Amino acid sequence: MPDEPVAALSEVTRTYGGVPVLESVSLAVEPGVTAVIGPNGSGKSTLLRALVGATEPTAGEVRHPGATGPKPIGYLPQRVPFREGFTARETLAFYARLVGDDPDAALERIGLGDAGDRRVEALSGGMRRLLGIAQAVLGDPSLVALDEPASGLDPGMRERAFRAATELADGDTAVAVSSHALDLVDEHADRVVLLRRGEVAAAGPLDRLLEERGAADARELYRVVVGETSASAPGEGDGAGGDEGERDAGDAEPGVHVTGVSDR
Amino acid sequence: MTGPLTGVATVFRRELATVVRTPGYGVLAVGLLAAVGGLLAAGGGGATGFVPAVVDLLLPTEALVPVAAVVLGYRALLADGASGELAVIRTYPVRVGEYVAGVLLARTVALVAVVGVPYAVVGVGVWLTAAPDTGIFATHAGVDSPLLYLRFLAFVLLLGAAYVSLAAAVSALAASRRSAIALGALALVAGVLGGDLLLLRSLGGGASSATIPGSLPLTPNGAFRGLVFEHVIGVAFAPEGDFVATGRAVGSLVGWTLLGAVVAGATLAYGRRVDAAIERVRSGFGG
Repeated sequence: MPDEPVAALSEVTRTYGGVPVLESVSLAVEPGVTAVIGPNGSGKSTLLRALVGATEPTAGEVRHPGATGPKPIGYLPQRVPFREGFTARETLAFYARLVGDDPDAALERIGLGDAGDRRVEALSGGMRRLLGIAQAVLGDPSLVALDEPASGLDPGMRERAFRAATELADGDTAVAVSSHALDLVDEHADRVVLLRRGEVAAAGPLDRLLEERGAADARELYRVVVGETSASAPGEGDGAGGDEGERDAGDAEPGVHVTGVSDR
Repeated sequence: MTGPLTGVATVFRRELATVVRTPGYGVLAVGLLAAVGGLLAAGGGGATGFVPAVVDLLLPTEALVPVAAVVLGYRALLADGASGELAVIRTYPVRVGEYVAGVLLARTVALVAVVGVPYAVVGVGVWLTAAPDTGIFATHAGVDSPLLYLRFLAFVLLLGAAYVSLAAAVSALAASRRSAIALGALALVAGVLGGDLLLLRSLGGGASSATIPGSLPLTPNGAFRGLVFEHVIGVAFAPEGDFVATGRAVGSLVGWTLLGAVVAGATLAYGRRVDAAIERVRSGFGG
């Protein structure tokens, strides 16, 4: 048990329209913060969706040996999906009831105690993301996957969202976060998975990768491994709208993952 | 802690709150009341009693109730799937069956309000305004009675529940709101007209009319019509009945309701796997 990862992907491949979006990805997710980074369309959202079971791999296996409890997995999709017409408190209360948790405590934890009576559609993008993070951690899951939690936010809110996400990982929780915010990755991540065209280009503890590649920080590591200098200007935030081009299939996301290929 | 009932009850509450906060459903109920009341006023049956009122309403009901039910159900399961919230809900300890049951129960309660209330109001109107004494409770055939209208109302709700469930199945199968509307319209036309057309075709092909009581209840509309003839209209005018086998007709309506729920549940439970299997085939063909 102690040597078991919280989750493990083994040779996971996922295609859409016959085009591979993830290819033979193998990795173990351990307690702590694992940042998933890579250019737009590199498969970050698909990787997280496969990790939480929202997308079925076309090949390979996803296991959750260390994810236990009534709600072993918490998930925040790239596009926060809450139903309109409900207040923040009502939204969290729905989820909290399913796991016997306290919605008000969750709101306070995330700093939205004063916004509990505001309708979801009246919340700012940042507040919606915070609400999404509060939802993801309800029920004390062992594995939390957050897809672009800092996407499209101002610097203050970006830091707040990322900090809220990563503070979870102080215990035995494994937090997997996809992000373009490489400064925040530098600051908070224990490990990094760098994706390039659906494949793992580099993975491991951030310190080790920086040393191996002779990089000063995550931004330089990104440039060395991916070989790009622009790549949606990583480090300057998650960009307006985040990794919109990378939405993938499953129940929800209507977007196109690879140009010209949709799963619907 | 939590259990299956918690899951169903929690989903039910959320779904019911959604329905209550959707003004369009209130408009639908008012529109239905106007349509049913107007049809009754135009037909004149309501002025003479419950059974004449049912005779006036029977045919329009076979179209109006399925339309209202499909409007209530066609997005029931699509909404969470399309927004991505279903992927979030599925990380919680609530099974697909519990989720579908909660949504369907809430939509059925909504049906009782949106469809049942207008029909009940019209029934009260008939009671208050019909010229003959319709306050007599029937103890034998040939007497008009509010109980006959209550039976009609019960059959209306059974018909509506079947269409809500079928519409929910459509909403689970649909990939978008547009395709849900198209599939819902198709199901509506098939349900409202399909059974009768098949029956006419079989009769035209030489089938005996004696088979009608057996084959009529196979579709929701046929079952509903048969039950209304057997237990409402026929009670007053044709004591020997034999329009339709009651058990078969009720079983048909319940069966269609269960079929819709099962299809919806199976679609949500196995949709990802089917999608992945299709992708495997595609990838195989792609080399």
